[in-house]
Amino acid sequence: MFILKPHSGVPIYRQLLEQIRRMAASGQLPPGTELPSIRDLALKHAINPMTVSKVYTLLEAEGVLERNRGKPMTVAKPARTQSPHDKRLEQLEPHVEQVALAARQLELTEKDAVKALQEAWEKTDDEPLHRRTRPR
Amino acid sequence: MTSPYIAARGLGKSFNGKPVLADVSFTVEPGDVVGVLGKNGAGKTTLLELVLGFTPATAGAVQFFGYDSYRLPGAAKARIGFVPQQDELVNQLTAADQIGVIASFYPRWDDDLVGRLSREWEVDLNQRVKNMSVGQRQKLSILLGLGHKPDVLILDEPVASLDPVARRQFLEQIIEVASDGNRSVVFSSHIVSDVERLANKIWILKDQRMYWQGDFDSLKDSIVRVHARATRPLPDSFAIPNALNMQRNGTTATAIVQGWRAEMHDGLAQQLEAEIEVEQLTLEDIFLELHR
Repeated sequence: MFILKPHSGVPIYRQLLEQIRRMAASGQLPPGTELPSIRDLALKHAINPMTVSKVYTLLEAEGVLERNRGKPMTVAKPARTQSPHDKRLEQLEPHVEQVALAARQLELTEKDAVKALQEAWEKTDDEPLHRRTRPR
Repeated sequence: MTSPYIAARGLGKSFNGKPVLADVSFTVEPGDVVGVLGKNGAGKTTLLELVLGFTPATAGAVQFFGYDSYRLPGAAKARIGFVPQQDELVNQLTAADQIGVIASFYPRWDDDLVGRLSREWEVDLNQRVKNMSVGQRQKLSILLGLGHKPDVLILDEPVASLDPVARRQFLEQIIEVASDGNRSVVFSSHIVSDVERLANKIWILKDQRMYWQGDFDSLKDSIVRVHARATRPLPDSFAIPNALNMQRNGTTATAIVQGWRAEMHDGLAQQLEAEIEVEQLTLEDIFLELHR
């Protein structure tokens, strides 16, 4: 469901936080989608359960997730999570900036960078991440 | 507010007047998974031995479950699991007998857990300890530390001899312990990537002292590599605040900065009239940079 890279400079909690936030914002994780239990997600990715718990708590406070007594956490209702197009675009900005900066440092052209992004776009289309999280 | 399981204050140890650990203070709270990092000889094993009360402190004190750890009552000891760096298995015994000996000390011993794990980890219970490989011995040693379901599990280099599959199985077991929320784990390891996955707190020992300790996420956010690129050659006086070390090359400079905060970015860019890029580091990079 998620792609976590513990051996990266970005703290694991932030990787998970941003993925859930993005997937909920885009509707890839539609409202009502159940999230894995803290224990299951921790075991699957071999990470500390407190990390998962921290992310769920932060996202609950943001209104992205809902806690349900004795049941799995779910993605909160659309009114609160389906953010407008502009807002989602804003979330993408820092990532694109990184790509642009890297391309400049590598002395590549704008065309090169756009082409690389297009290729990456197509490549990610058949990733399991995409398939598995579509509503059944 | 729950009280910490372990609390050390000004802890120190000297042998013949030579310090092997000095002025270390920390707490371990219920639910913590603490990764202890340090080069060989940095004092990791001494630290764990002081916590366990194997040796008296020469300075300061450490409390375990509220007791002086050197005078820990039996009931408190029964809540602690320990896996030493060098296993303390008895060569003549079979694995099953070895387990039986240890189990007899603990009323809370969980036969089902140990039976299930020994199957999953492929530990042959009929084999004699002396015929076991180093990895098998280490697995058995870990089983013995887990079997009584301790509230605090302390492990000194537990995975050094395990293959990647066994290491992952071990990690899963630590996650099971941590999922409880009320049990804690303290483990030292040179396998930085395991620490990276599991620890929520990091202790870095360096030169017999606690060099850095805290929340793992804040470690990754606070020690970063900063790249500065100016339009003209950097002046001789060029400096990045809190830089641990800096490399300069004409118009560019790269430094490892401790205590970085996101809001420092713009101020630095303006002050240095340079383009600033902040690169986050892996735990391994951080560890190496701190030892340069």
